[in-house]
Amino acid sequence: MTGNVKPATTKHLGWFAQLMQHPHPYFALDGGSGAHLFAALSRQSPYARQVYSPRHADLLIVVEPISHKLVPSVQETARTLARPAHVLLVGSPDRGKLDHFSGLDLARVEDLLPDALHLPSPTVEAVLEAVLAPEHWPELALSQQGEPEPILIQLPHRQEQEIAPELAVLSLGPIQPLTAGPLRLYLICDGEQVFSTQVEAGYAHRGIAEAMRQTDWQQALVLARYLDPLAPIASQLAYVQAIEYLQRWQPPAPLTALREAAVALERAQNHLWWLLRFAQVLTDTQLIDRAYDLASTLAEQIAGLWCQSPSKWILPQYVIATAIANTPPSAPLQQLASRIDALKSAVARNRLLALRTRGIGTLETDRLKDAGVSGPVLLASERESGDVQSRILTRLEAASRDTQAVTGALESKERMVAHAATWNVPAGEAHAAVEGPRGVIGLHIASSGGEKAVNVQWQRPSAVLLPLLPQMLNDQKLADAEVIVASLDLAMEEADG
Amino acid sequence: MNTVATSLLVLLGLLVGAYAIAVLQQLVLSGPRQVVAAFQLPIAQTLLLLRQEDVLPAGADFFLFRSAPFIALAVVALTALVLPLGPNIIGFDPSIGLFYFLVLLSPFVVAMMNAGWSQNSKVGLFSTFRAAAYLISYEVPIGFAAIGPVMAAQSLSTERIVQSQAGLWYVVWQPLGLIIYLFAALFVTFRHPFDSAMAGSELEGGVLAEYSGPRLLLFKVALNAIFLLLMGMGVVLFFGGWQGPWLPAPLWLVLKTFALAALVLWATRFVPRLRPDQILSLSWKILLPASLVNITLVGILTLLLTGGNR
Repeated sequence: MTGNVKPATTKHLGWFAQLMQHPHPYFALDGGSGAHLFAALSRQSPYARQVYSPRHADLLIVVEPISHKLVPSVQETARTLARPAHVLLVGSPDRGKLDHFSGLDLARVEDLLPDALHLPSPTVEAVLEAVLAPEHWPELALSQQGEPEPILIQLPHRQEQEIAPELAVLSLGPIQPLTAGPLRLYLICDGEQVFSTQVEAGYAHRGIAEAMRQTDWQQALVLARYLDPLAPIASQLAYVQAIEYLQRWQPPAPLTALREAAVALERAQNHLWWLLRFAQVLTDTQLIDRAYDLASTLAEQIAGLWCQSPSKWILPQYVIATAIANTPPSAPLQQLASRIDALKSAVARNRLLALRTRGIGTLETDRLKDAGVSGPVLLASERESGDVQSRILTRLEAASRDTQAVTGALESKERMVAHAATWNVPAGEAHAAVEGPRGVIGLHIASSGGEKAVNVQWQRPSAVLLPLLPQMLNDQKLADAEVIVASLDLAMEEADG
Repeated sequence: MNTVATSLLVLLGLLVGAYAIAVLQQLVLSGPRQVVAAFQLPIAQTLLLLRQEDVLPAGADFFLFRSAPFIALAVVALTALVLPLGPNIIGFDPSIGLFYFLVLLSPFVVAMMNAGWSQNSKVGLFSTFRAAAYLISYEVPIGFAAIGPVMAAQSLSTERIVQSQAGLWYVVWQPLGLIIYLFAALFVTFRHPFDSAMAGSELEGGVLAEYSGPRLLLFKVALNAIFLLLMGMGVVLFFGGWQGPWLPAPLWLVLKTFALAALVLWATRFVPRLRPDQILSLSWKILLPASLVNITLVGILTLLLTGGNR
């Protein structure tokens, strides 16, 4: 789920067993947290192959959480599958804990699709093992072929249509491969030209901030991590920092460096998995291969780096004596940074890739700043032309910089005095901001000195990009519009909150 | 009896060829590459699709939707007849064999358009329009590229074209024609990077979005087979067809065809999917003028090499 995956499955079948192996073309339905999982899964086994039409699939893989708004789409997709078909429901690691929070807007997919095989563990190995298992799954029951309800949208007024006498509305999503999680775009097209765009979000809304107000400080940590399941450490750190500001506690420098290293590696990992997903949208095989190679190598190195996962030791006032495993892989990380730099140079030189990425999706820096945009999208606009190509280069540069920057913190021999986590939060208000992979994740909390926060407000970097989409997509070619959306790396759970 | 046997042999050859292209794709293109899997997967996928439901979407045009895959496969089978595997090893050898081959490529694209149009869906409609645009765009360059070998051989017979390359393959002095031909061949077969009419991530599979089960299988066979045939015709036009030392003639043609197919598939790894308007620009602004230049050059060289007589 978080991209902490091994590069290849450890399961090696004999040649005869391979001959008996059934292929599974699967349709990926990502509730919002499965982007990295699906990216890694697509490269693991030739027998599990992602397809983009549910008609071509014999397996539907649903990654939780699924909001109530997304339920009709899930049901419609399951209905669309050609039979015999199966459903694999991949759970969330925190699902058990999250079920205790009454304020969350989550649907129970088990009830919607009772024939689904439920997999609580969201790792690539577990999914692959389930998909390729020789046991027969329960087949998805034939459903009544009900007509989906027609969706009505407001078309542009006749006087605004100018030379576009016949418009076609192409509904893209909510299940589409361009964003991490569900988002619906109504592209009102004049032929291949996008004339107008309407954005419908909220398909990944869970009500994290509201749920955090209803639970105590310690339990709210689980929810904070859940704000952006693709960058849980950054969200968790923002929450922990806000509490520490209220507690007026300053973490020691080595601990700060370790926390920053954990967030930096998470950022780099996100950038590389995004590049893989983006290359898949463009079907650039060479870029897909190189992005996967880098992303899986980094995931492997991160997996062996920490004694304990950062989510276990990024807690208010908690000081861990030793966070790093015995052999911090500084040299391999430096090598990886060099390879990322090499890929960046190759992308900058690649004229064929530039055919699809240069000169599209630009927006003035001032307009982005006014809207509150941060992160790679803003940086690409400030340093370079701000088009899709510059977003790729900016993210690769950031991934290289983050990978190199952590080596200092990892090699530090300074030992810290352990300190237990403290959950007493005095009255007051605090704002914390952490640089996440998609921009600044900010958190404003207010405490009355009680057991719960009285006010919680998140600053979500993907959310501020959504209102800018029509401006970016209008007057673009249809194919370019999709590339532009993919280049923004929208994480819909984080955007919808 | 002879006609029936020929038809069956052609169909069998196409099935084996489509399987071989599927294996080649597994080995050359994206994804985890495993040799055993590459040979086994096409068979397993065939079995999977054969037992899958054949869905007819609501509101679809019954006749067009059901008939499109058969039309595609029938067109492929008909075009295969004029591909010479060796001296006198050919389905039939009309004096206008190459013309027959090129003309029959159009109904193949029309079958794809029928498939998209008949689905009663927006993505099908968009992809149909894209396919229609390509139909016009590939025909002119591929026709002009094929004129080069015809001028040199002074015949439209595919057998005659092969025989006329006994001394020197046309690729040696018509490389530009080969390049134009290969681009156009990728157009007509909806191959990456010219596959936006069947784009997965853009249009959910495009013209094939609503197909499932056996009919989807027929389309996949037809698409692989037409690619194989175009590569085979490329070998006939530019690489001396079946000619070669030591080995039997048909084996030479097969080897050359798969080598060319592997090379083309490998080259497409480095290119992202092109936009429809970029594909049309490439066709009309680059390939068409280049093909006219090629015809001029071939004309001059033919005069120089043969003195205008054979």
